[in-house]
Amino acid sequence: MKNEVKKDEVKKETRRAEELKGNETCEKKGKELPFEVDRRSVYKCVQCGTCRSVCPVFDVVGWESANTRGRMLIIKSLLEGRPPSADVLPSLASCTTCGICAAKCPAGANPPEVVEAARAQLVKCGVITEAQEKLKTAVTTSGNSFGETKSRLHWLSDNERSKLPEKADYVYFVGCFDSYRYPEFAKKTFEVLQQFGVTLLPDEQCCASPLLRTGFREDAAKIMEHNLEQIRKVGAHTIITGCAGCYTTLKNNYPEELRVISLPEFLAEHLEELNLKRLDLTVAYHDPCHLGRHNKVYDAPRKVIQAICTLKEMKNIKENSRCCGGGGGVRIGYPDISLELAKKRIEDVPEGVDYLVTSCPLCVRNLRDAGGDIEIIDIVELVVMAME
Amino acid sequence: MDITEELRKIVGERLSVSPSELYCYSSDASQVKGMPDFVVRPKSTDEVSRIVRLAYENEIPVTARGAGTGLAGGAVPVSGGIVLDMSGMNRILEIDIDNIQVVVEPGVIQDALNNALKSYGFFFPPNPGSSAMCTLGGMIAYNASGMRCVKYGTTRNYVRDLEVVLADGTVIHTGSKMLKSAAGYDLTQLIVGSEGTLGIVTKAILKIAPLPKTRKLVITSFRSAEIAGEAVVKTFSSGVTPSACEILDRVSLQVLKRYDPKLVLPSEGDVILFEVDGTENSAREAAEQIIEVCSPLAISIKLAESVKEMADIWAARKLVGAAVSRLDPTKSRIYVGEDVGVPIKKIPELLRKAQEISEKFNLPAMKYGHIGDGNLHLALFIDVLNKDEWDRLYRAADLIHRTAIELGGTVSSEHGVGAARAEYMEVQWGPAIEVMRAIKKALDPKGILNPGKLGL
Repeated sequence: MKNEVKKDEVKKETRRAEELKGNETCEKKGKELPFEVDRRSVYKCVQCGTCRSVCPVFDVVGWESANTRGRMLIIKSLLEGRPPSADVLPSLASCTTCGICAAKCPAGANPPEVVEAARAQLVKCGVITEAQEKLKTAVTTSGNSFGETKSRLHWLSDNERSKLPEKADYVYFVGCFDSYRYPEFAKKTFEVLQQFGVTLLPDEQCCASPLLRTGFREDAAKIMEHNLEQIRKVGAHTIITGCAGCYTTLKNNYPEELRVISLPEFLAEHLEELNLKRLDLTVAYHDPCHLGRHNKVYDAPRKVIQAICTLKEMKNIKENSRCCGGGGGVRIGYPDISLELAKKRIEDVPEGVDYLVTSCPLCVRNLRDAGGDIEIIDIVELVVMAME
Repeated sequence: MDITEELRKIVGERLSVSPSELYCYSSDASQVKGMPDFVVRPKSTDEVSRIVRLAYENEIPVTARGAGTGLAGGAVPVSGGIVLDMSGMNRILEIDIDNIQVVVEPGVIQDALNNALKSYGFFFPPNPGSSAMCTLGGMIAYNASGMRCVKYGTTRNYVRDLEVVLADGTVIHTGSKMLKSAAGYDLTQLIVGSEGTLGIVTKAILKIAPLPKTRKLVITSFRSAEIAGEAVVKTFSSGVTPSACEILDRVSLQVLKRYDPKLVLPSEGDVILFEVDGTENSAREAAEQIIEVCSPLAISIKLAESVKEMADIWAARKLVGAAVSRLDPTKSRIYVGEDVGVPIKKIPELLRKAQEISEKFNLPAMKYGHIGDGNLHLALFIDVLNKDEWDRLYRAADLIHRTAIELGGTVSSEHGVGAARAEYMEVQWGPAIEVMRAIKKALDPKGILNPGKLGL
């Protein structure tokens, strides 16, 4: 994985701010911009600390700055005139935007939104981590978050590619992870979806989620426009995606004209046509934050699983599901923290299950990296098993 | 002497002087602010002792902090210095069911202790609204309680022994595993509620209680908060001791209904929640008695039908303080004047005066709290971007504090004094405050332990 950031390069960014030497950021000297984030959203936080009891990053790190209340306080301090500097990054760049704080906040604050807005402001002020910079460069120069140069559709044969319909009602949006890290998921998903008249975008690029989550809003807008143009050309009315990050981005950040549906939702709608056989398996299901908590897609994946085999729930599910640690740029920026979160999530798997199923390749990746005895699979793999 | 280096020798990486980190430790859930110079996260009594000794020798203020959920600025370093973040000392060291007690470190979260005790059929009764995140160390330092103290008492009633680091770093034990002792001053009770001004608690032996076999919840509503207060007085004088007795005035009720529309709560009025516990028979009898006493005064009375109904109401009740923004996104609840208490007979008068104060300053308010022990949480809310509303808020809070004292009550029933209420200590205590000051001087001659608190 030549384009993934090496561990020792990132390690310095996981240290506390006082240890940063100042060269870890690409601060644009002399560029002074007002720090603008919606004040009302920030002041909704009454510092009660409810989020402290659920923030998964805080659970691992232990410093106040690593929990939601700390992040909201730091953003408040920037709003009140403290100059943005690298000092804020270990706090503001280490949020996975999992949203469990928002789900629990009695005051109704939405910290992931505030953190993303603050990151966008920090980007404008030139205060970013090396990992953010690398991620942005990868996406803007190669169209994918890994900086891969080979074709996004490399998992199709030339013949298969040439037969892709130019026009279709449905588009399968593959995403960077399935394109380059799990092409077998992409292949299986496409095989399942093909019977419903689904095509692929001729030149899909990153959905822009990594850019939006880490504050590069202007760069994100350009790449989103590129994808939109592709979608319009195909004439599709519905986009299907198997990645939770792509799903929330396409659904919530792209124009409302798009109908976006997650793979589990699509599968759940077409269970009868899929003609699935029962398997003698017991599995658990991990709710990806950006599919579950952010978009309330809880029932569809469970419906698909229960049509195939027995579902045994994890310790914390749905709204209370714990983050795998992969989102919000944390996997690339703070790999040690990210891995600890994944290990803790694996501890929630109940005894006596054959697989841990999820419906997001980033979750698959992070949870697999955490090791453990349990095999982690994407929901499409389970579906294909039941179709064989 | 380079204090940063000396601290690093003791705690290594568990030290921060980063401005962002220090900022996160410059406040709690109150409006009190104060920047620390260092934050350390000790892991053992020995580390705490060495840090405090270093501070003593160099006359540096030391402020202990649990989860920072306090509402009086008790954990805020108003004179700078070192903040000791005790939340990392969070081990339950022993669950000793034979002696009906537990040995814990101060960073243990209240709910975590109760989760660990559940399978034994026991619990630690003091339960503040912040039980999901507050630490036992903080509860001991502020004599925290919560809605069940009306029957079970406050944290003070559950502490048997404390390991305490004194101002010069000396480590002492204040009690023992014994149920009772007639030997010497009761230092345990001196430390409980002392807000970190006399020593730092590093370990505690706490009494626990058997979980009741059943709980029942009577949900009543009244035409006014004052009538609701009368119903509470009548209920207690009829001989019933509820395990919780909470008021939710009509504004609080609407906030809760907005927070969770599915909650089984009355549609109107000012609500009193009476919880009774015990055996099936004793709880049923107590619930029936409450219904009988309240019927002539109430506009609705209902017995919660399931454990889930009860649990949902209590869970929502715990969050009501911060939930006001859901009713009006431009308003935030600000914790000032929020913890006064009066003798139970004075409750109707306090409720009336609280309403008058809210109207006088034109500030919307929620009135909720542990009315069974005379503790009213007056929640005033403002638009935080409006300076005039801040000004009116502080004047209203001042008046509510003085009103409570005039009614023979206290400026704080369970949240503590900290820096937020320090100015009222002389008014409330008269010459007794000098006794407190003398104790402080004897135990902390250099005044390094949590200076600026308790009006000392």
